[in-house]
Amino acid sequence: MTPKQRVMTALARGQPDQVPWVENEVEEQLQIRIMGGRTDYTPGELCRALGMDGFGYHFPTGGAGTASQALQTSKSIKEAFYFPKKITFDFVPPWIAEMGVEPGGRTYVKRGLLTDRAALKLFDEFLPDPDHPARYEQVAKWIEQYREDYAVYARIRLGTASTIESIGLDVFSLMLFDDPDLVKEIHRRFSEWTVRVVENLNKLDLDFYWANDDHADTKMPWVNMEMYEEFFKPYQKLVADAIRKPWAFHSDGNLFPILDGLVTLGMNAIHPIQPAAMDIGRMKKEYGSKVCLIGNIDLDYTLTLGPPEGVDKEVKERIEVAGKGGGYIISSANSLTDYCKTENVWAMANAVKKYGRY
Amino acid sequence: MADLLGTIKDLCVRGKRVELIAEVKRALAEGIEAKTIMTDALIPAMAVVGEKYSSGEYFLPHMMLGARAMSEAMAALASELAKGTYERKAKAVVGTVAGDFHDIGKNIVKLMLEGGGYEVVDLGVDVSPEAFVAAVEKESPRFVMMSALITLTMDSMRRTIETLKAAGVRDRVLIGIGGAPVTQKFADEIGADFYSQDAYGCVEKCNQLLH
Repeated sequence: MTPKQRVMTALARGQPDQVPWVENEVEEQLQIRIMGGRTDYTPGELCRALGMDGFGYHFPTGGAGTASQALQTSKSIKEAFYFPKKITFDFVPPWIAEMGVEPGGRTYVKRGLLTDRAALKLFDEFLPDPDHPARYEQVAKWIEQYREDYAVYARIRLGTASTIESIGLDVFSLMLFDDPDLVKEIHRRFSEWTVRVVENLNKLDLDFYWANDDHADTKMPWVNMEMYEEFFKPYQKLVADAIRKPWAFHSDGNLFPILDGLVTLGMNAIHPIQPAAMDIGRMKKEYGSKVCLIGNIDLDYTLTLGPPEGVDKEVKERIEVAGKGGGYIISSANSLTDYCKTENVWAMANAVKKYGRY
Repeated sequence: MADLLGTIKDLCVRGKRVELIAEVKRALAEGIEAKTIMTDALIPAMAVVGEKYSSGEYFLPHMMLGARAMSEAMAALASELAKGTYERKAKAVVGTVAGDFHDIGKNIVKLMLEGGGYEVVDLGVDVSPEAFVAAVEKESPRFVMMSALITLTMDSMRRTIETLKAAGVRDRVLIGIGGAPVTQKFADEIGADFYSQDAYGCVEKCNQLLH
């Protein structure tokens, strides 16, 4: 099987020739370490180096490694969105938020700006035109140039993470009670933006989408099922209904309390099944007939702080538990961040080769 | 009196802040001491909120709603409490550790601790080990609580504990840690006194350690 066939088979809950490996992101500084200091490699070269079966996210493209594009915002992001300077497959809206930059260059949300109705005008200020042709034309060229036989995906958002981060989790929690219609209005606007993006992306030669929408912590989701059904699902469904390709849903944390509602959106896969929050054995048993499982290699300790032997052991265990019968794509339980130990990423690559064969 | 305190407790649990403040004022007007309202109604109410959160009945928004109601009720009682003999359970210094700028988790812990009857000194985000030491020396807290959201900054917790030891103040305080990547195993490894997965669990651990 080609890497793409492997990924698409697993997304359809089938059993490929070996367990595929795809990451939601490999941060650029780590990519550069993996590539021995080079910055001018193609996505396929990175995939070959590690034995990965697909790519999306973004690449340094001969320049300096920069932080995740999924965490950017700026009033001037529109031009950068239309005319990307480096290879990217990201189509996420910017946070409507005041951002901070840590000394190492990592960005974080300081404060959401959509705290009242007057702030709705910021949508026009921050969100790029989702129908502007330039980015789609450029990405279409990159897909043609770099896809080889890998699975290529675009990262999008259903709108939930954008809503929560752009309001601020604390303000959002209270706004659900104080001004529920405003929460819905904000979510609807983000989701409708993504619907238009997806309608454009459907025309490209992409293989699947990866919708990144955190709405849980390790204990539980940030809303209960009733709130999920009222505040999130109707708008998430707008995007889900527009999607014409397989897609994976991403949220960190424990999704079990709302998972029965979530899976009715019809995604093909759930990621990252964070080990501290969700048991992958339970996921396989209860949801393995509905969705492909992606992830579960621990980022909190195994990949970042532990020894390579621990990575080897964990990959073996996960393939035994989740790989049975197919429908599993191995991946870190979030993304390969630049603070993963390089030797542990190589250990993961070796272990996938060693234990992944069906 | 018991009925009125029961009503106050119930309103706080349900986060009904407008009605709560009205009932708190009515209780004061009827001669119920602010200290009694705190200890017999509001603090028990936040314990109920926390228990409901721990059991999965309440989610984050419900907990935040209860904490806001509690906070506003405390503000309404502040001048009366200042006149009397009400004492908070203990003082806690909280902060997000060096290199980490995420404050949501730390802020929720702060709210729940205040609701649980603790005095909280918030050092903010990106707090250096030296700033924790200075706060311990200045504030003489019983607890030091550290938060980290990403694995990258967890080591700042270790460094903070080492710095507290080097400054000779480690044994004056009980140290609690929390945050998404933090585990009990890590707490044991770095010599913290306790770990909690969530904000109310932190209040419960503090309560247990005081007894």
